[in-house]
Amino acid sequence: MKSRIIATIGAVAVAGATLTACGGAGTSAQGENEITFMFRGNDAEQAAYEAAIAEFEELHDAKVNIIMTTPDEYATKLRASISGRQIPDVFYVDPGSVQNYVRAGVIRDISESVEADVDLDNVWAYGVDSYRFDGELMGQGALYAMPKDIGPFSFGYNRTMFEEAGIPLPDTDVPYTWDEFIDVAKELTRDTNGDGKTDQWGTGLNVAWNLQSFVWSNGGDWLNEDRTEVTVDSPEFIEALQYFADMSIVHDVTPSKSEADTLDTYQRWMQGQIGFFPVGPWDVPTYEQLDFDWDLIPYPAGKTGETATWVGSLGIAVSETANNPELATQLAIHLSTDETAQQSLVDAGVQIPNLLDMADVWSTSSTLPPDNKKEFLDVATQYGRALPPATTSDAEWYDELWRNIDPVLDGDMTAEEYLTDVKPRMQELLDRANAEANNG
Amino acid sequence: MAIMTPAALQAPAAPPTPATRRSRLHRREHMAAAAFIALPVIGFVLFIGYPMLYAVYASFTRWNGLSDPQFIGLDNFVAMANDRYFWQAMGNTLYMMIGIPIGLLLSLVLALALNRKMRGTTFFRTVYYVPVISSLAAVAILWQWAYNGDFGLVNQTLAIFGIEGPNWLQDASTAKPAIIIMSVWKGLGFAMLLYLAALQSVPRHLYEAASIDGANPVSQFWHITVPMLRPVTFFLVVTSIIGGSQIFIEINIMTPEGGPEFSTASIVWYIWQKAFQYSQMGYATAMSVVLGILVFVVTAIQFRMNRRSEFSIE
Repeated sequence: MKSRIIATIGAVAVAGATLTACGGAGTSAQGENEITFMFRGNDAEQAAYEAAIAEFEELHDAKVNIIMTTPDEYATKLRASISGRQIPDVFYVDPGSVQNYVRAGVIRDISESVEADVDLDNVWAYGVDSYRFDGELMGQGALYAMPKDIGPFSFGYNRTMFEEAGIPLPDTDVPYTWDEFIDVAKELTRDTNGDGKTDQWGTGLNVAWNLQSFVWSNGGDWLNEDRTEVTVDSPEFIEALQYFADMSIVHDVTPSKSEADTLDTYQRWMQGQIGFFPVGPWDVPTYEQLDFDWDLIPYPAGKTGETATWVGSLGIAVSETANNPELATQLAIHLSTDETAQQSLVDAGVQIPNLLDMADVWSTSSTLPPDNKKEFLDVATQYGRALPPATTSDAEWYDELWRNIDPVLDGDMTAEEYLTDVKPRMQELLDRANAEANNG
Repeated sequence: MAIMTPAALQAPAAPPTPATRRSRLHRREHMAAAAFIALPVIGFVLFIGYPMLYAVYASFTRWNGLSDPQFIGLDNFVAMANDRYFWQAMGNTLYMMIGIPIGLLLSLVLALALNRKMRGTTFFRTVYYVPVISSLAAVAILWQWAYNGDFGLVNQTLAIFGIEGPNWLQDASTAKPAIIIMSVWKGLGFAMLLYLAALQSVPRHLYEAASIDGANPVSQFWHITVPMLRPVTFFLVVTSIIGGSQIFIEINIMTPEGGPEFSTASIVWYIWQKAFQYSQMGYATAMSVVLGILVFVVTAIQFRMNRRSEFSIE
């Protein structure tokens, strides 16, 4: 009796297994010229990418299966598909993941095809170098992805507000000093309708995205040269964070925390209530529709006298398991450097051109705001830097800085107290990340 | 060398089972039954059993989810003991379970109210059940709006009564209560429905007998209704605690960074962050194994306690 039951279970199991096997074979039977591309983005980006991909399909007589996710879901979905060894042939990587992916054999060295097909001198060096890895440090060696874009995080100001207030316009080439910046911001902060409440502010910045500029221009940094030591307790760093916090707690030139929480400064900027605000290329199509004049300027400069900001980037990598790696590489190259594809992305307003000659034309010819588009290019070519976690194998040590920073911004703690307190924790996390990377 | 244990020695020889002759039909039925049972069993082994065993193994490894796991013994568990965020996330999760008794109480009150014969009960039952069938993600987004300090529905409502509401989700002191309120609201309908069903299955004659004996409605409630509802309460407590310990979606949507100063990061949220943002699958699985064991132990204790207090009505 028992044996028969077992036999039945066995039979069912075998049947089940066969079914699964069939299913598996069915889905993995991809045509020779068929590849999958996984990416993330908003609707505008999706439409622009679909157009670029359709063009690629025509050129290469290929079929590209698109897997599109929201920005929030992307990392989780990609990681799950990698763990399950169902890796899309072509997908987005951020520079911070490149080391891990290379060590784990997930993404392919595409240097050869790229060098054969692309004039890399005509592509942002920063964008390309973000995906080079020589096995030890990022930024040099073999190329593991093509830049999808670069995102020079620039600074803008509300020109209309300046004109109405009768304040001389900021120079587009010479940055304010920190003191000048506070002075101008104070002048801009006012109660315009006389109801006793401030309704216009000098600026309103987010610490996680704007502190970099202040720290770097003051001569501080997150890490030492070889990325082994956290240096957030340096006097330059402390001074920069304190300056940042003092903008709201001492000088009152930003919306208070509760004002910023209820209507974030991004919304307030768009309603014309904020004088200075960061501008990324991805913001431009939205900001084009603002009903005030605005333009780009360099960030105010600290002790070094040099302005500073960061450049973001996202790359397009090819999976090590792609069954048609050559075609997959061609797709990455196409999306990154094909002129028509780039044009459709630039027209959609999702990025600045990846190609230098195109960018030159774009910065001088387009009549849409901002006037000083060249500032984006200056950031990209001259003074933009990678975000600190882009060059380490994970970002946990970096995120640790933001996690409990609120008391500093509220004035309940000094920058010095906080940074000396958080540094050892960051160091520990960095050590772990570095050790793990070397073990990997 | 067969060693007979004392128990085996004392065990009476099994009575010879009469050779039951089973018909072919009977055997076929057995086989069919086995086949039906086999499918879920196989499903369980493949999709739950194997991953569970693998997770236990992975919890002893250093693993980034990409390369092969490396065995490192108990290191992950030691690290966990020293990880302040692990404890903070555990504490947050526990704190947010305050919503469970509150929710149970409210849903019982609601069920009692809706159990009366009055106009519109069906309408109200439906209204209270709507949140249950709505997508948790959508609900979380709605509540996120409702909690906006200036323009949110919650503070606008409070303003009518002259109360100035806080910036719920941006303030470390109100973020957790905000999430609790939302979860209670979301779970209310489900618990209410079960209580309603249970209330209606309480035999009427118990109340009749009690009132003949002179019991007033309050003591009837405590001595008949509450005990009769115990199985449902037990079910709700067990499932809510298991669900509560796994709270994630509302946290992730309403406070994507784990809240101001990590104040709303639940343990599952922290596990997710470690696994998918920081590529520490090994450590994340170690935490989930600990969480799994905790949930198991708590549930086992509940079952024990329930068995002791179980009673039946002849």
